[in-house]
Amino acid sequence: MKAFLRILTAAALLGAASLAQAEVAVIVNSAAAKTPSQSDVANIFLGKDKSMKGVDQAGWNPVKEAFYAAVTSKNESQLKSYWSGLIFTGKGQPLSSVADDAAVVAKVGAEADAIGYVDSAAVNGSVKVLFTLP
Amino acid sequence: MTALRVAGLAAICLAATPAFALEQGEHRFNGFGTVGVTHLGGEDDGRSYGINGQTNDSWRGDQLSKFGAQLSYGLTDSVGVTVQATAKAQQDEWKANLEWAYLSWQTTDQLMLRAGRLRSPVYMYSESLDVGYSYPWLRLPDEVYSQVQVTNYEGLDAVYTVPLSYGSVTFQLAGGQAKNRDYYAYDDQFDIDYDKLFGASVSLATNQFGTLRIGYVEADITTDINGTVNNYLTGNPNDNLSLLVLDKEKGKFTSIGYQYDNGTWVSNNEWTSRMIENDGLEAIDSFYLMGGRRFGDFLPHVTYARLDDNGGRQSSWTLGLNYQAAPTVVIKGEYKRVDTQNGYDGVFTRNAQEVFDNEVHSRFGGALGGAPARNYDGDIVSVGVDFVF
Repeated sequence: MKAFLRILTAAALLGAASLAQAEVAVIVNSAAAKTPSQSDVANIFLGKDKSMKGVDQAGWNPVKEAFYAAVTSKNESQLKSYWSGLIFTGKGQPLSSVADDAAVVAKVGAEADAIGYVDSAAVNGSVKVLFTLP
Repeated sequence: MTALRVAGLAAICLAATPAFALEQGEHRFNGFGTVGVTHLGGEDDGRSYGINGQTNDSWRGDQLSKFGAQLSYGLTDSVGVTVQATAKAQQDEWKANLEWAYLSWQTTDQLMLRAGRLRSPVYMYSESLDVGYSYPWLRLPDEVYSQVQVTNYEGLDAVYTVPLSYGSVTFQLAGGQAKNRDYYAYDDQFDIDYDKLFGASVSLATNQFGTLRIGYVEADITTDINGTVNNYLTGNPNDNLSLLVLDKEKGKFTSIGYQYDNGTWVSNNEWTSRMIENDGLEAIDSFYLMGGRRFGDFLPHVTYARLDDNGGRQSSWTLGLNYQAAPTVVIKGEYKRVDTQNGYDGVFTRNAQEVFDNEVHSRFGGALGGAPARNYDGDIVSVGVDFVF
């Protein structure tokens, strides 16, 4: 029984550790006036709300996967399918993207109306965290 | 001084406008395509079927296969130009078409105005009609998608999108004309003009409960559909018969569509009604209901479609299996069983002579020859791949 409990605790700890590692922070400029909610963020990154400038990550990576799954409930192929629906109907263009976490932080830190998502470890003082996603 | 202040204000407004379209000088190039073959089997081997009558009893690639490329270029941060060209087969011949060619102006965060050649916003999938990747089938349900054949028009539209806490709502208004388009009927191609084309649609996209779209399009239609038949009533072996003449008659088309996709369960449904004033017919109603469930990269799905046309009815069941081979590549296979009732040709092709023979038989009860109108059925198998880049 004790051994079983210990295994459970270890598993829980492991789980918590891996969650902490994959934590995604949604960030805005430290001087940003707006504090969009999670559904606003979904609209911004799906191209429906153009009041802020979403900064996307270029390649498909675990941070991007976690962000889109949590905020828009879409996986990679659903997201591609969604954007092809907008591109080829002339209703929208995918957001401009930059290479990695550091580039997102740099861009959001430099532009007052920019918003991005990064691994929470990449956050620095030039940006503020709106909310984090497990 | 006032003028200066106004100019200053305008400059501030411009500076404050966030970038929402392509930035000046930025361009995007995207493409799409379908490579597929389709075959009609069953009782009516040899007869053609389909929106352009290109499905028959040989395995043909030209009904389903098509390619397209689209280029968008930012002239300024809010004004852009978009051109889309497609290559697809029409009546046994591959043709290049300029489907889109327009200037767009993102006037505010929410309002976009476009002018040029635009896709006519008729059906739920009208604006991505050639992009097979954007819908689950290889063949869009023919019962619905054969109703209006015009795919683009020259004119203006306005697209107004409002973000909501639970999704977004988009209003679209369109106006223009489409002259000298092709209309396929009775195994032949005819000229058709759409004047005073006007369309309006509203689309409510929710994050949790799918997307509902309601659209209406009307236009003044001019066409002269005729055919040369062997008229044994008059003894003229090359009699040119008029089958349908429309002179600026108003056509009205309504579509109500609903899409749902939560990542596991998928459903696409659309109901349409078409009415042309003074064509001597009642409204033609059609719909399809589709449901599917994803198992990993596989999506098995089933569709029921029906077309009700002045007493005649076509109905079909489609079973499909899609495989997401890569994020931008889907391999699809489909089996569709089609039946018609009450001596109706549905989306099967009757030529002018058959129309004449059926008419003679029904008018004179067979006393003067002809042939009774009959029902058709078929088994359509389609296999192909859709991709985008």
